[in-house]
Amino acid sequence: MTLRELVASQRFCQGLSEGQCGELAACASERQFAPGEFLLRQHAPADTFYWVLEGQVKIRLALPGQGLVTLETLGPDEAVGWSWFAPPYRCQFDALATTPTRTLAFAAAPLRALMERDPTVGCAVLKVLVSTLSERVQSCRLQVLDVYAPPGGRR
Amino acid sequence: MSAPAEPTLPAPYRIVGRRQDSADVFTWTVEPLGEPALTFLPGQFNMLYAYGIGEVPVSISSAAAGEPLLHTIRAVGSVTRPMAALPVGTVIGRRGPYGSAWPLAEAEGGDLLIVAGGLGLAPLRPAILGALARRAQFGRLCLLYGTRGPADVLFADQLAAWRARGDLELRVTVDRATPDWTGEVGVVTRLIARADVDPARTTALVCGPEIMMRFAGEALLRRGVPATAIHLSLERNMKCAVGYCGHCQLGPHFICRDGPVLAWPRLAGLLDVAEL
Ligand SMILES: Cc1cc2nc3c(=O)[nH]c(=O)nc-3n(C[C@H](O)[C@H](O)[C@H](O)COP(=O)(O)OP(=O)(O)OC[C@H]3O[C@@H](n4cnc5c(N)ncnc54)[C@H](O)[C@@H]3O)c2cc1C
Ligand code: FES
Repeated sequence: MTLRELVASQRFCQGLSEGQCGELAACASERQFAPGEFLLRQHAPADTFYWVLEGQVKIRLALPGQGLVTLETLGPDEAVGWSWFAPPYRCQFDALATTPTRTLAFAAAPLRALMERDPTVGCAVLKVLVSTLSERVQSCRLQVLDVYAPPGGRR
Repeated sequence: MSAPAEPTLPAPYRIVGRRQDSADVFTWTVEPLGEPALTFLPGQFNMLYAYGIGEVPVSISSAAAGEPLLHTIRAVGSVTRPMAALPVGTVIGRRGPYGSAWPLAEAEGGDLLIVAGGLGLAPLRPAILGALARRAQFGRLCLLYGTRGPADVLFADQLAAWRARGDLELRVTVDRATPDWTGEVGVVTRLIARADVDPARTTALVCGPEIMMRFAGEALLRRGVPATAIHLSLERNMKCAVGYCGHCQLGPHFICRDGPVLAWPRLAGLLDVAEL
């Protein structure tokens, strides 16, 4: 499968023309990560938007006094990172592969320019990003609720 | 099904085994004193009576055939905490089995997606064992299990054995990881979108804290699982367990009699009302 076909087969390309998928593919490359390798590093410039094709990625945060805490794991058909979309374009968390991981890596600057230039592409990418965000916020709220905690107090 | 002559009269059972599953969860193996072995359906529950302390509803967590009777109990309050301290050999009272069952026969011929949260794995265990015993009758079989942290994962040996079979997709996730946890992290409902099943021919069985079940139900609907094929197991405070007293009422349902397993359409609007 060519890179263009691979990009076109992802769900954010649904409804886009061949030409538009081609323009998206022009911002993309396929990148592989070995377990332990970083996709994103906290505080580093957020210059790439990753889309997981295979494998598993963990989102991790350094907590003073508690070490490195994994907040969630992500898998195929999921977006990693959205800091590339909003200023100041800095990563908030670490993202690293926990298994051999294959991704589509979109260069953020040309992707943002394409989204500005062609609002249909912008809307398609945003739809996926917003649904990812809303799913993560919902999960995060459930995690905060601590639904499995013993009644009458948290451990 | 064994129907007790006097439905609210407990029969004596002896605790013949006790396993500590996590800090506050334990499993009893119980045996009847005198009465024949119990027949029940996966998903049903018993009322367990610690003499002089009190009586609580507890799901049956053993296989419907081929295992002694098991109950997996979390020590949360005035009855279950003293129960946790009862030694092996103690005689308790048991009545039941009560309530509706997981619709395993209806699910045959299609895929089965089981979503368990925390202690919710216990009432689902008989259904999982039932499906595995008739594995050829089902398409894909997928178990998604989420719990609080690595120390709260129940039935770890059993999970390892299920994973080793290779004919069941098993994914275990925790809400809060410890540094040594190498598995998935995040709420179990998020795994629904990625489960390897054909939604249109899937039956979903869901058990866990009510808020988790509500979000799981919504995620299943988004995935395309028909509402009528989504089944949840509900809990309410119970007294009689036989539909007399009304303690267990949820909207138009008595959970002891109409439930605990109910299909999603029967719960419409009932899972997000604060007072129910
Ligand atoms: C059909 C059915 C099946 C059940 N199956 C099981 C099972 O397999 N294993 C098991 O451990 N429990 C099960 N339960 C729940 C169990 O019956 C209760 O945990 C038990 O009645 C609590 O009694 P208690 O007197 O020890 O606690 P109480 O003194 O009544 O309560 C102490 C505290 O625990 C809280 N609490 C009570 N019940 C629950 C609950 N279910 N979940 C969370 N917090 C609660 C109360 O709000 C209170 O804060 C089931 C309940 C039903 C209705
Ligand atoms: S517990 Fe009495 S009616 Fe259900």
